Amino acid sequence: MRRTFPILVCFSFGMTMLVQFFVPSKLSTDAYNEITNWVQIIYAFALIVGVVGLLKYHFSRVSRRERGWFYNLVTVASLIVMSLLGFIGGRGDGGSFMWVFNNMMAPMQATVFSLLAFFVASAAYRGFLARNLEAFLLLFSAVMIMFGIASVGNAIPPFSDIANWILINPSMTARRGIFIGVGLGTIAVSLRVILGVERTYLGKE
Amino acid sequence: MNSGLICVSLFTADGAGIWIASILTLAIYSFLYKDNPIYRFSESLLIGISVGFLLVTTFDTTLLPKAFEPVGKGLSVMFGIGGFGSIISFIWLLIPVALGLLMFARFVPKYAWMSRVALALYIGFGAGASIPANMQSYILRQIDATIRPFLHIDSFWSLINAIVILAGLISTLFYFFFSKEQKGAFGKITRLGTFYLMIFFGATFGYTVMARISLLIGRLTFLLKDWLGLIS
Amino acid sequence: MSIWEKAKTLDRRIIFLFMFLGVGLPLLAKIGLPVSVTDDVRNVYNYIEKLEPGDIVLVSYDHDTGTLPEMIPMSDAILRHLFKKDIRVVGMALRAEGNGIGRQNIRRTSAEFDKTEGTDYVFLGFRPEITAAILGLGTSFEKVFPKDDRGIPVGELPLMNEVSNYNDVKLVISVTDDDTPVYWVNYANARFKVKVVAGLTAVMATTFFPFIDSGQMVGMVAGLKGAAEYEKLIKTPGRAARGMDAQSIAHLVMIGFIIIGNVAFIMRRRGK
Repeated sequence: MRRTFPILVCFSFGMTMLVQFFVPSKLSTDAYNEITNWVQIIYAFALIVGVVGLLKYHFSRVSRRERGWFYNLVTVASLIVMSLLGFIGGRGDGGSFMWVFNNMMAPMQATVFSLLAFFVASAAYRGFLARNLEAFLLLFSAVMIMFGIASVGNAIPPFSDIANWILINPSMTARRGIFIGVGLGTIAVSLRVILGVERTYLGKE
Repeated sequence: MNSGLICVSLFTADGAGIWIASILTLAIYSFLYKDNPIYRFSESLLIGISVGFLLVTTFDTTLLPKAFEPVGKGLSVMFGIGGFGSIISFIWLLIPVALGLLMFARFVPKYAWMSRVALALYIGFGAGASIPANMQSYILRQIDATIRPFLHIDSFWSLINAIVILAGLISTLFYFFFSKEQKGAFGKITRLGTFYLMIFFGATFGYTVMARISLLIGRLTFLLKDWLGLIS
Repeated sequence: MSIWEKAKTLDRRIIFLFMFLGVGLPLLAKIGLPVSVTDDVRNVYNYIEKLEPGDIVLVSYDHDTGTLPEMIPMSDAILRHLFKKDIRVVGMALRAEGNGIGRQNIRRTSAEFDKTEGTDYVFLGFRPEITAAILGLGTSFEKVFPKDDRGIPVGELPLMNEVSNYNDVKLVISVTDDDTPVYWVNYANARFKVKVVAGLTAVMATTFFPFIDSGQMVGMVAGLKGAAEYEKLIKTPGRAARGMDAQSIAHLVMIGFIIIGNVAFIMRRRGK
């Protein structure tokens, strides 16, 4: 029951989605509409489960006074305050919830991501070395894109032309190969999941 | 605002916002010197705020209008009008909500298995929907786009490009799919595949650099323009 | 220890400093380097240019705040083009943060053109689970979004009375910092034949060339450079155009470091 019923549920909904694609009818379209609606609701609950799990983790670290517990406390406190601002004050423009979003969350998040500009430069200096032909191609392609697409090379035809040629020919076709690989892999795994061969998503007993 | 150094007032909502955003930006950049408590404080603050935002937005824009309000409405209809039909529609509305609530069972070890039902529905849906989509979009259309240029060769260079693309696709697929020892003619094809992949990874790296520098430009523009007023 | 050996152990903070100056100084001193327009961006512009006033375009904010400096100039430029042509916009988000970003972005840009919410544009809000949301919109917008972001039932919004599914939408624009446009292509384009455009962070650009080549996507606007190109096409220079000088110089600094690193590597190898 604990494993068989979920496998049956997975099979039924997987097959419904598969069949309705090939056999469009009023019944299958109605089923499709309901299932997509249900999935959105379930996924929204799953996000809340994730938030509860995160809170639980941070609370336990604070209550046990583990190393760095103060930072866990900051996370919990800011989560609670932000939630209260939203639930009590609302999400409207000009409210305190959006003020925190615009003046704290957005700048901090963007700054964290921009840190990578520095680290990527440092990593390229140390690791981007033409040790062999493969490494040279990697290096050449990267430099041509940096120079020919969004730098002064963009105004110099040989460089911009080479960069564009790389993008729409060898780079594009390699990505296409990856897509086909991903597509075949996904189809194989999906079939295994629907047919109940692949059950790792159920976890341990 | 643009006439001199630090001319944003701290005593307006916008001004205070700019000051706080600037201080937090610098706090995060302090990591470039070395890891420090100010950075870690900002990082923890960011996680809390982000998750709080996710919680409120998910509840307010999705759970409320799609789950709780319809269930509440269904309940009042059931008690108001009554009858078998209203009970059936109420149960129908209740199913996804009940499945969603079952997800919380994972916090109670004894009943954790119940959360698998909702998970199985979600996984089954994803698997069923992805098979035709992947077949159509990732495989058939991509193969079609690789072969079609050979039907429209209008110059020497279009032929070369079509060959470059076809050779790249075949060699990349050989590299991925045939798990046998890569030597002889087979080894040469897979090596060609690695050349193509290296060019792709290089191009992606080039674009990644572009993206991260753009973000740095955004943050420095904010500091120099909005906060310090050094840029008009 | 030779200079080439020392180069190997160069303090990374020196590299950081050069990157900082490479970006900061061009921002202070405007250079005005030229920006050329690529085919992918021109295709997006041309497609929108051919739309009729009153046509409806779906703009989905599928990104987080981490990439805002890249995405906002792009969204601004595209929305200005849409509103200038009196094209009506249906906004939504497949990321929670995209909800806050998109709502403010559409309201701010629409205000420049005196557009009215509900009639000229709407913002429907956030939906989790990308696949289900995209597939759901294929049969009923109202089923996926019974209310807009303000909590108003979509039946009460004049614009939404004209939108029941993708058949009523001329174009989907996914502004994103990940591979969400892949889902739009796989589920909305492949199944419902709606045209798709991606406004992307540059990191994701190389992923979408196969889709453009196969005709599954109209085009894409990638990164700050793409946004600067779009600003040039609509003849409204903004933040992206301003940032391109810094982008160019920073790339040169980066390439300079790669060259120095390689010269040092070759000299060390010769010395052994």
